[in-house]
Amino acid sequence: MPVRVAEISAPSQVSGTISRHTSPPACTLLSVGQAFSGTQNVSSIQKEEAWRVNVRIQGCDLEHGYLCGTMEALNVPMADTPVVTFWEGEIVDTKNYTFFTGKWDASPEDDKRHWTKFPSFLPLLSQVEIDGGKSLDLSNCPYIFMRWKEQYFVNVGTDCGLTIAGFYYVCFSCSDGSINGFYYDPNSSPFQKLELKSTNEGRSGFSFSSYELQ
Amino acid sequence: MPSATVNNHRPRELLSLLASADPEIKVRALREVKNQIIGNRTKKLSFLKIGAVPAVSGILADSVDNVIDSNCNNDNINNILVQSAAALGSFACGFDAGVHAVVDAGAFPNLFRLLGSSNEKVVDAGARALRMIYQSKLAPKYDFLQQKNMEFLISLLNSNNENVNGLGASIITHSCETSLEQKALFDAGILRKLNGLLEGGSLSQRDASLESLATIFKNNPEIISKFSGPEIGRPLSSVIDLAKDRYPRTRLLACMCLIVIRNTSPLFLQDIGIKTKLIHILLELLDDSGQVGDEAPFAFSSLIAQKEDLQELALEANAIDKLLHHLQKGSLHPRRYEGILLALADMCSKMESCRSKFLSLQVLNLVTDALTDDSADVRTAACICLKSVTRSIKNLSAGYFMDEVIVIPLVRLFLDPSTSVQVAALGAVSNIVVDFTTRKSIFVQCGGMKQLVQLAKSMESAVRSNALWALKNFVFLSDNRLKESVFSELTACLLASLICDPEPSVQEQALALVRNLIDGCINSIEFAFAEDGLILAAIGRQLQSASKAEIGIQGMYALCNVASGNEFHKEAVMHQLFPLMDDKNQSFMMKFLQSNDSQLRAATVWAILNLTCPLSPGASGRLEKLRNAGIFSQMKNMVNDPCVDVKLRVRTVLGQSMAFGNN
Repeated sequence: MPVRVAEISAPSQVSGTISRHTSPPACTLLSVGQAFSGTQNVSSIQKEEAWRVNVRIQGCDLEHGYLCGTMEALNVPMADTPVVTFWEGEIVDTKNYTFFTGKWDASPEDDKRHWTKFPSFLPLLSQVEIDGGKSLDLSNCPYIFMRWKEQYFVNVGTDCGLTIAGFYYVCFSCSDGSINGFYYDPNSSPFQKLELKSTNEGRSGFSFSSYELQ
Repeated sequence: MPSATVNNHRPRELLSLLASADPEIKVRALREVKNQIIGNRTKKLSFLKIGAVPAVSGILADSVDNVIDSNCNNDNINNILVQSAAALGSFACGFDAGVHAVVDAGAFPNLFRLLGSSNEKVVDAGARALRMIYQSKLAPKYDFLQQKNMEFLISLLNSNNENVNGLGASIITHSCETSLEQKALFDAGILRKLNGLLEGGSLSQRDASLESLATIFKNNPEIISKFSGPEIGRPLSSVIDLAKDRYPRTRLLACMCLIVIRNTSPLFLQDIGIKTKLIHILLELLDDSGQVGDEAPFAFSSLIAQKEDLQELALEANAIDKLLHHLQKGSLHPRRYEGILLALADMCSKMESCRSKFLSLQVLNLVTDALTDDSADVRTAACICLKSVTRSIKNLSAGYFMDEVIVIPLVRLFLDPSTSVQVAALGAVSNIVVDFTTRKSIFVQCGGMKQLVQLAKSMESAVRSNALWALKNFVFLSDNRLKESVFSELTACLLASLICDPEPSVQEQALALVRNLIDGCINSIEFAFAEDGLILAAIGRQLQSASKAEIGIQGMYALCNVASGNEFHKEAVMHQLFPLMDDKNQSFMMKFLQSNDSQLRAATVWAILNLTCPLSPGASGRLEKLRNAGIFSQMKNMVNDPCVDVKLRVRTVLGQSMAFGNN
């Protein structure tokens, strides 16, 4: 008989679904319901430009290294309203996913070029060059590395003039909930930077809600 | 073949004929009773109601003493014994009320006595009747641990009579439950005998042996390793061979035996070849139109349940397509319908790839149709299937399931007469209401929200806690308008009493619901203060006596969320943590910080973090109070907490407290 699956926002799953001991630690700030806001730098050679971005985590399945949520881009010139996309994330946990992407037109060289832009990645570089980081123990690492790929537009059509062909290399800081990312798309300006902070939505402190799937 | 004139008497007439002194009339009446009731449940019931079973049992009892008399060649007596045994067997066959009546009438020991007859037909009739009784759970339990019982069982298995040694196997299948019994059977050499039947027996003996072996193996890795060891030849390979037998029932029973072995001792049958074979054989058995096909999906479920590697292999073998293909046939026997739905539920229970495959076939209607089936088991299975499929976060995010076609029949099941259907429907709805689109109002419009609140008042604790679970998921990230409507339907009073419900699981869900209500925009915190702070007080009270970590976790997050508000809110939380001015008693906070549960520690530290947030005017006062209660000393011990999340929060709190000067 099928049994209950717990997808709770607090760290570590209900016993029985704990991820292997080398996977990155669960973190309350990166859990369902959590919101982040900041900017994405979309500058090109022609002009400086940045969009305000809000991100919300909607799903989290640490056992399978999976995350998903929405990204809302404001003040997008081509759009009348904020543009919302749904994205899915791969958590680099050495079990389900390694630092090598293996798809989306990203070569291992592209991977290294992007990961090394995060200072917190540098201690891991040498092992990653050997085996993609498969033998790393990330269980005490205060950073979580991910790839986020937008899957579809939630509130606009595909003819809105925007692209979601690429994906983000993401580094999340467990200590303060800040997120840094670089957008990779061979057909777009390189290294568009995403910088987000955990938001309190007007509160004086942190607030957490959660859902549990049965 | 009975002639056309035989089955003409009405039950009451037959009953009086049974009482005749003339043995030939008695025998004819017995035969007619048997012929009328065979395969006819309604007839069995009508005969039962007029006391036919005690009457037949009485006849058996009157004649059974003659069995011991080995010179008895009296045909009439033997016929009476044979026909009364056959009639009793028929009453019991596939009919629990019949089994009950036969046992109650005291016929059971007398049927065993028939096995001592020198007349083969009498022995056969007795053995067959007993086998039919032992098919039912209501048959009396056989005590293997008594020496003479074990000896008797061995004598049955040693018999050359197929019905008699089959009876031995049936008794084992029925009554062997504990590891002590399994060991006793093993020690008595039963496995060797069963293996003999497996290899050299008839079809019926092989089948009976497979069932018995599975019963002895179940959850007993030690016996399995002995069975598979060198002393008993290579019996495991015999079972594997029988999985490819030409008879479907044998294939099914062999698969079930192998699955028991595999589930008990994961070291065995790990080979990907055998796993794939089992999957293919079971999927193919679905094509059988009889009882084998009805049971095959249950065997399939027991093979793949909880095991992603097997689910993946089954996905590659097109299991989902095949199961759905059978579902599409319609007019299914309820047992088969239930089995297929549960098999689909197991396939979709863990892997998104399976759920995607299922949804891509666009046949969800096949499952929602089953929500209105006559059988409660089928309705339950349909709900469980939906519960599995709706674990697809991707599709929940897209609002795929928040559709009247799915939601309305599920909400109707909240009023189902069967509690297990209600709970299963609540399970599916709990997932569906995790909807990130603006379509949650559909659930309100179809009356679902109001129903959930009603169910939160149910007498059944499982219904209460599942209704609250669904409400908790429903209000997650909901807008304030929706939260207001839920709250006004629930009322602060009911919510407070649910927080203090006698059942821990209800307490936990109620606290989690409050936690979600007060998250979001800052005004939501006011829910905790409605009716003079009823809910906040209930949370504080419940945390004093939290019986398990999960209650502490939800309660602390609720307090944490309140403490993320303004000064008034933070002070109100402090009052719950330290209710008395002169608080000598250790706050439950200390207990939580020292808990083995990292989530509980984390939740507690988050609350402290919010209470001592430097930007708040009253933070230093609260800090002082926490320090005096020893909380900060405790946290200093936690700077290297083994849980990274806890460690980081503790360091943040301690770092934050530096802003207030020396500590």
